Amino acid sequence: MSRSAFLITCSVWKALFLREAVSRLRAERAAWFWLLLEPVIYIVSLMVVFTLFRMRTVGGIDTAVWLMVGMLAFFMFNRTALRSMSAISANQALFAYRQVKPVDTVLVRICLEGFLMVLITIILLSGGSLFGLDVSPADPLAVLLAFFGLWLLGAAFGLIASVAVVLIREAGKVIEFSAKPVYLLSGAIFPIAAVPSPYRDWLVFNPVAHGLEAARLGFAPYYHAIPELSITYLYGCSLAALFFGLSLHQHFRIRLITQ
Amino acid sequence: MIILEDVYKRYQTDHGPGKWVLQGISLVIPEKVNVGLIGRNGAGKSTLLRLIGGVDQPSRGRIERGGRVSWPMGFGGGLQGSLTGRQNTKFVCRIHGHEEDLQDRIAQIQDFAELGDAFDEPVRTYSSGMRSRLQFALSLAIDFDTYISDEITSVGDAAFRQKAATAFKNLAGRASLIMVSHGEAILKQFCTAGIVLQGGMAYWFDNIEDALRAYKESLPV
Repeated sequence: MSRSAFLITCSVWKALFLREAVSRLRAERAAWFWLLLEPVIYIVSLMVVFTLFRMRTVGGIDTAVWLMVGMLAFFMFNRTALRSMSAISANQALFAYRQVKPVDTVLVRICLEGFLMVLITIILLSGGSLFGLDVSPADPLAVLLAFFGLWLLGAAFGLIASVAVVLIREAGKVIEFSAKPVYLLSGAIFPIAAVPSPYRDWLVFNPVAHGLEAARLGFAPYYHAIPELSITYLYGCSLAALFFGLSLHQHFRIRLITQ
Repeated sequence: MIILEDVYKRYQTDHGPGKWVLQGISLVIPEKVNVGLIGRNGAGKSTLLRLIGGVDQPSRGRIERGGRVSWPMGFGGGLQGSLTGRQNTKFVCRIHGHEEDLQDRIAQIQDFAELGDAFDEPVRTYSSGMRSRLQFALSLAIDFDTYISDEITSVGDAAFRQKAATAFKNLAGRASLIMVSHGEAILKQFCTAGIVLQGGMAYWFDNIEDALRAYKESLPV
């Protein structure tokens, strides 16, 4: 009995997805709780800080909504990128089976993180509405477009970084400490629109910042987003990086499993 | 049929490439022939098995596999410690295309491995004997043309060794076997041909007895 390459890949993806989901959600006690808790802690603690500064609104919208949407959008990028980066080393044991390729483990993690972040986003936004926040997006399609673009960017980053950390062991450390400033520079906790012009020109090179602003604008059309906002720029960067990441995997497919 | 063409292998170490483990091995392993792999510790037996099984890639040269070849059964590999025996079993069945008859396969594997309640415990809590029982049961439940065994029988207890021997015997006619073992009796019992690995080179013998004799003669007294 021989199966086609397509069928084999499908069965590998399905098995890997189920396996990743089980180890992500059942590996420790109440793992799903910790998945939710991380963004909640970030959002609540920053809300406290903003309240202390008596900032009721940012760029014309409620601070809580501004923070929540920005954070969730940022996590969409960040979690997808960082989780898929470590996919190859975490699944090293599975390359004992020839049909499991390194790129499969990365792609499956990208999908799983995206799926989990969609659930987390829905749960937290519904939670926010229970506290009386106005979390219904004015333009749902624009919000989806922004989140999807950030997910794609995270996927592209994960594909590139997953190859880099295997080939150059030190790359993991560098990426880890450079991930923190990205969080600041993406405008997750301060409005980029407030940065004066010569410096802002540099910040808007960061495609993540465009995604975050676009997501907020989708929630409230009267939000004062940065004037440079371009969803095309976000997608352009994502697709170019995605192509580069996939070709890296194609080029190094043998090196990645050679010991 | 498995063809190795001028296969070289060395491992990447922290300070550049290591020394050559295999240096220019060319072999043709015919179908339906059980082969014993003989050599001293560190001669490259496991390395060669991993290359044949496709777990690792040669530094130079080419390996061609005709038919379905198993992954090397034996120490470690292929099992994820944080998941239970059952979850690992499901994974292996799924990637080998046994989605429809998943429950039958699981029952068969559970029955063969005889792990009892431990089947639903994380694999990291297993002893090495229990791990190889599970690995052995897993690979037997999948239909391969060639099974690769890296001392699978050496860690089990007497009952398991007996069981493994029976299973190997049942394979005869259906599939072939490539095995590493330090037990002369086991090699003689199951293998017809032999490969002696020495100094990075491989020597093929049509008869396992000849292979064992050549290997013994090469040992320093």
